[in-house]
Amino acid sequence: MTLAAAGMIVFGMLAVTPGDPARRVLEARGVTEPSPAAVAAVRAELRLDDPVVVRFGRWAADAARGDLGVSWRTGRPVADEFATRLPATLRLAAAALVLAVGMALLLGTAAAAAPGRWPDVLARGIALAMLVVPSFVLGVVLLDVVVVRAGLGRVIADGTWSTVFLPALTLALSSAATWSRVLRTSLLEAGSSTHLLVSTARGASRRRVLVVHQLPNAAPPFLTLVGLGTAALIGGAPIVESVFTWPGVGRYTVEAINARDMPVVVGFTLIAVVAYVAASLVVDLVCAAIDPRLRSGR
Amino acid sequence: MSAGILTRAGAPVPRSLPAGTTRELLRRPAARVGLALALLLAVSALLGPLLLPDPNVPDYTDQLAPPSVAHPLGTDQQGRDLLARTLAGARTSLGAALLVMGIAGLVGLGVGTVAGSVGGIVDTVLTRLTDALLGLPSLVLTLAVVGMLGPGFWNLVLAMSVTSWAGIARLARSVARGAERRPDVVAARMAGVGRLRAVLCHVVPGAANQVVVATTLGLGEAVLALGGLSFLGLGAQPPTAEWGTMLAAGRETFAYAPWQLLGPGLGLVCSVAAAALVSDAMRDVTDPGRRT
Repeated sequence: MTLAAAGMIVFGMLAVTPGDPARRVLEARGVTEPSPAAVAAVRAELRLDDPVVVRFGRWAADAARGDLGVSWRTGRPVADEFATRLPATLRLAAAALVLAVGMALLLGTAAAAAPGRWPDVLARGIALAMLVVPSFVLGVVLLDVVVVRAGLGRVIADGTWSTVFLPALTLALSSAATWSRVLRTSLLEAGSSTHLLVSTARGASRRRVLVVHQLPNAAPPFLTLVGLGTAALIGGAPIVESVFTWPGVGRYTVEAINARDMPVVVGFTLIAVVAYVAASLVVDLVCAAIDPRLRSGR
Repeated sequence: MSAGILTRAGAPVPRSLPAGTTRELLRRPAARVGLALALLLAVSALLGPLLLPDPNVPDYTDQLAPPSVAHPLGTDQQGRDLLARTLAGARTSLGAALLVMGIAGLVGLGVGTVAGSVGGIVDTVLTRLTDALLGLPSLVLTLAVVGMLGPGFWNLVLAMSVTSWAGIARLARSVARGAERRPDVVAARMAGVGRLRAVLCHVVPGAANQVVVATTLGLGEAVLALGGLSFLGLGAQPPTAEWGTMLAAGRETFAYAPWQLLGPGLGLVCSVAAAALVSDAMRDVTDPGRRT
């Protein structure tokens, strides 16, 4: 459903983009003053003169098979261009996701373990600081101080695991901050329910109550947010990838936007939406698996 | 909320703001700090450019000068005073964010009220559209719209407005839908007030109240997103003084002139901090269930 709606919106953008695609394609191939005959030939080649509905059907069918069209800039298939860059972005997103969830769990539980006392204040302060520093500012500073001055790592990231830490950390911070705040709130909410009182009365330690009883109950809102946040990670990837010259799809898309290479932009949007929908699905399944209330219905 | 997900405006806002909210808000130190920061930013954005030299006049005898009495934040590659540029940039960046949220608020209020009051097929169509927009990651959608229109300041503002109104529309719709059976609306209808007038005079003001709160809370994210996309070269183009563009220029010279990042970086940090502190406190105050 979401995918279909997204497909329509994205194709709509492609269709209403000002300028004649055929002319763009020719200009991208180095023809500066295309003759009307050449433009007509490309129009026929791309079958641009068919009705919009027919073009949408063909485009959707192609996209479903993984064919995202041809880049206006390089003339190569968009899917191939993405295929070479996607592993780097997935690596970055996966590392960022792990870092963000780890930091959020740490800060959120530390804050909720002693509400109002110093670990809480400290954790909330750290979360606020992580939230307000823009990733592109932090990235530039980290790159210079850690990589150039201290000589750790490489200036030009090559997209492998060995260089992933700094970009992933930069990408993860703001998400981790938001998630830790939500986790703290839902932990505290879960902490007020009566079955915890019973567990405590039966002699469970505070830490055990927090981790074994409170955390699973607080998990669904947190996981939902993490699922949505995956979208934020994908959306944030263009910025972080550009700062760290990370060879992923985000940076490639920014270049494509500057060159007005629409098939690439559309392809990126589709990939992001698919990733987003997939993440929501996974989150729903995981929630059902860990939340005792959702499980007991079976 | 998350810096990445733009203005979903899903913040739990109650039906109407209880009396004494402002006073309650001002009792919280975090809110006071946030409001003071916001005030400081607003005043410096409004007055700064009047008191300081022209931010766009280059001085090639004084390039990349470190901070001094004459140039408290130093100068950039073209010898322009960075304090003047930072404050002019505050005007551009904060003004653009206000504009984006203003447009998003108005469109959202309009669409939501129409959907909620008219109902039927209109409601179904508008709600489907809203849900489709909300189902997409908004920063990705913004990138796509910018890609379609081409980079540029106004195109970026337009793209962000297009992608930020959906959450507000959902909020306004929920207010408008519940309004039909609200005592004041029923009384007005019974007194012979027409349907359109009842909506305009009784439903819209109530929804507008909450829309204003939601858009204010979205400002921090809007500033951040505008800065990030401008940093990538997709927004304001040189020589316009804008925080994201200034940071992009400062990035090239960071190794030997790190002060270039100071002004716009601090500006962004203060803006986002102000928005985060105020919105946190607002949520605490207006949502007693979550008060901790």
